[in-house]
Order: sequence, then C-alpha cells, then structure tokens
Amino acid sequence: MSLILGIETSCDETAAALVTDDGVVRSSVVASQADLHSRYGGVVPEIASRRHLELVSPVIRAALEDAGAGLDDVGRIGVTQGPGLVGALLVGLSAAKAIAWARGLPLVPVDHLRAHVATLYLQPEPLDPPFTCLLASGGHTLVLAVRDRTGFEVLGSTLDDAAGEAFDKGARLLGLGYPGGAEIDRLAREGDPEGFAFPVARVPGLDLSFSGLKTALLYAVRELSEAERDARRADLAASYQRAIVRALVARLEAAAEATGDSVVAVVGGVAANSELRRALPGARFAPLELCTDNAAMIASAARFAPSLRSPGYLALDAYASSSL
Amino acid sequence: MLILAFDTATDVATTALLDDDEVLGERSSVARTLLEDVDALLRQASARPTDLDALVVGTGPGSFTSTRIGLAVARGLAVSLGIEGAGVSTLDALTAGAPGAIPVIDARRREVFVPGATALSPEDVEARGRLCVGDGAVRYRELLETNGAVIPPDDDPRHRPRAALHARLATDFGPVDAIEPIYARAPDAERWRP
Ligand SMILES: [Zn+2]
Repeated sequence: MSLILGIETSCDETAAALVTDDGVVRSSVVASQADLHSRYGGVVPEIASRRHLELVSPVIRAALEDAGAGLDDVGRIGVTQGPGLVGALLVGLSAAKAIAWARGLPLVPVDHLRAHVATLYLQPEPLDPPFTCLLASGGHTLVLAVRDRTGFEVLGSTLDDAAGEAFDKGARLLGLGYPGGAEIDRLAREGDPEGFAFPVARVPGLDLSFSGLKTALLYAVRELSEAERDARRADLAASYQRAIVRALVARLEAAAEATGDSVVAVVGGVAANSELRRALPGARFAPLELCTDNAAMIASAARFAPSLRSPGYLALDAYASSSL
Repeated sequence: MLILAFDTATDVATTALLDDDEVLGERSSVARTLLEDVDALLRQASARPTDLDALVVGTGPGSFTSTRIGLAVARGLAVSLGIEGAGVSTLDALTAGAPGAIPVIDARRREVFVPGATALSPEDVEARGRLCVGDGAVRYRELLETNGAVIPPDDDPRHRPRAALHARLATDFGPVDAIEPIYARAPDAERWRP
C-alpha cells in the first residue's frame, strides 16, 4: 500500500501527514504558530513564512517517523498550492517539488478549500457526496453543494468578515486572546446567550455578513462601565457566539433545502465550536483535530485531484486567492 | 563529488553543477523555476538526483520570499536524498566574482544590503574610491557614483551572483536544516487582512 505525503503551509500552521490511498490517516503533524502571532492579534505573513522554513523539514520527518514509514513508502506528494499567504505557501510548495523531483514521484497541487471538504473523505467514516457543506474558518466562510469528491459548487459566501475572523475580532473587543474562537467558546459556557440581543444582518440569497455583528458588540461593550463589562464578559461572549452560530445554521439549513440534500456537513476551524456542534446534531462534522489547518486533509484531497509528473510541476507557482 | 549549487536571493536565480572543482554546467532564471534549471543541469550531465553528493545554497540577503524558495528547495532535497549542504552568503559570492569590491544588493524600499549591516540607505554606503557590484549598485548607480563609487557597466557579469562561485566558497558542509537565511531586516508586523 503506497502512502500519500501531504504538506500544508498556507497560513500559520506548518503541517505534514501520511495518508493511505484509501484514506487512513497514518500520521498527522501540525506545528501551530498561534503563540508567535498572538501578540499581534492575527497572522503576520512574514513571521509566518520565516517560521514555516524553520519547521518544514522537521515536521515532514516527524510525520514519516510517526507513520513508521520512509519516503520509499510514499507514492505521491500532495501540497497546498493556494489560496493563502503566497510567501508561506511557497515554502511548502518548494520543499514538496524538491522532494518529488529528487524521488521521481508525482506531485498533486491541492486547493486548500477543497482539502477542508476532503477531511470528510478520510477513514474511519468517509462521507459520500452528495451533501451540503459549510466551510467556516478564519479566512473563509462558504456554503457549498458537494456533488462528487473532486470539488464543489459555491452556493453562498461571506460578503465581509469570515466567521473565524468575526470570532477573532470579537475576542479582541472582549480583551481575550488569539485565536479568538476557542477563547470565546470557553468563556461563553459561563454566560447567558440571551443576555444581549446581537442581530445578524440579513443579506439576500445564501450569502452571509458579519461586519454589523462586530459593530453591535463594539457598541454594547462601549455602553458598559468597566465594572459591568468585567461582570458581563461571559454574557457578551455567549450572546455574540450565539448570533454567529445562528447565522451559520440558518444559512446551512436554507442551502440544504435548496439542494434537497439530506446530509449536511461542517468543516474548517469554526467546526470545532462546541455550540455550533450542539446546534446541528444531525450534521457531519470534521473530527476536532482536523478542523483547523492540517495536512491529512491535503493528502486526502490529493486522492481525488490529478497528479503531475516531472517536468510538469517544476515551475508550479502558488496562488493567493481561490479561483473556485 | 557531484555538487549542486544555487542562489535565488536576488532577481537572478543562479544554478551550477560541479564535479569537485570542475563546472559541468551553469544556468540562470528566476526563483520560482529553480527546479527546471536544476533538472536541466542534471540531464545535461547525464546525472540523476540520487547521484548528488552535496548541495550549496545562497543564504541572501535579498528578497525574503525568493531567498526562502532556495532554502526550501534545499531542505526538500536534503530530506529526499539525505545529503549535506553548505550555506554561502550572496554578498560573499558577489565578492568572490569581484575581489576587493563592495557587494551591494537591492533591498527594495530605497535601501541596499552590504556586508556587516542591516539594510541601509544607498547614501550611507561608504563607497569612495571603491568598486561596487550587484543589482543594488546598478539600481543606485547615480547615488553611489556621486559618493565616489566605481561601478562597472550594467551588463557586466560581476553584478550577478554565480552559483559556481558559491560552490568554490563552500567549506563547512553539514545538516541542511541548520542553514539559515540572512534576512538583515526585521519583518513588518502588520496584520494580515484576507
Ligand atoms: Zn484553512
């Protein structure tokens, strides 16, 4: 059984994984840089790229070791080509090209968004299309109709902030750390989700908008005295989270109604949110450890994308935004 | 000993294949197509990737992203082939091609990289009576010449790094993971907004 080596460096996680041809995750190593970026309240591209270069080969070696495998067991290499930070992507892409070339292996350029969806095709319970999918992360919020394993059709997307970004910005307004999603999720457990009424803008079709919500939180925080703000911080977090979750659930359900799909799924960093998971008891969620960026999803997507032989991939470049 | 050398720190990506001191081939293009040049050099020499014994990589300073492309390729080759490598500063390699000259690399934002300093304004290069080479010397020719520098014509080969010279300068071979880029400038800590 030959293995697929996945490599991911599109944002602030340096990741490598080994996945079998039929979707068993043999190893998945993720080196998060969150601590490095937390004092800036977000990812600093040049700092991320520098860190990727330091981590890329140790992470690949660790993935091989964890799988008890060597490069001789690898049959092809999947690597994120985009979307993401180009400087960061080029670290993983350059290393992947070099490994493939030196070993005479095929290279599979992978789209990061397709890869998030491909998390669902991994063992032990691979999902079969068709299904309607919400992809929500720090960089993207998309509602998708998935008809087969090679891709998807975009039904709706955010017009401004991504859902994960809304969590980050909300966390900053509440004086919480980065990444904001996990911080708000934790604090919200102690708060009253109906304590504040935060409206989410209604936009036509299946699109979403979170910028008004962030402004509503800002005003709510401003109206409170410092003492009140401290006392009600958990209520603010719970109410803010409730508003985001409601908006996401409403859009996903409306989309499923439009497609007629009986199966709905959620992937991306926001899929780790505990309230979202509770709000959609019938939905398929990416496993917790594969919600945020990882390379097992890249290797999974590589199973369903065309592979390139040398010299076809030698001049391959990264791309910043999605063409999908 | 078959040695592959390359440097992608500047706008000119330079590659060379050497058998000990003998240069078997040299090419130049841009960082993103580095591996096409590498592939062509090996084919020309009827060598396979697994025939490589060591690699030499330019460590900058130069463009952050393109310097990293060279180093990431080096790391990938080392992971694959288990070979050792050596890092050579792009400034040192320029000096090797123009003994006695001050190497001046374009650092963008109206600054240059010269030995022993972080990026500085071309006005601040102490160039009086000195030969200056490199893409920074070409770009800021007028300023540097006003300060007394001697700069060869734009098309003089001494302005461009040559990987064959990197290979000659390489002495300390060791784990490629330990070869670090020379950034010579702190990163901008602006927030990234998608
Ligand atoms: Zn992602």
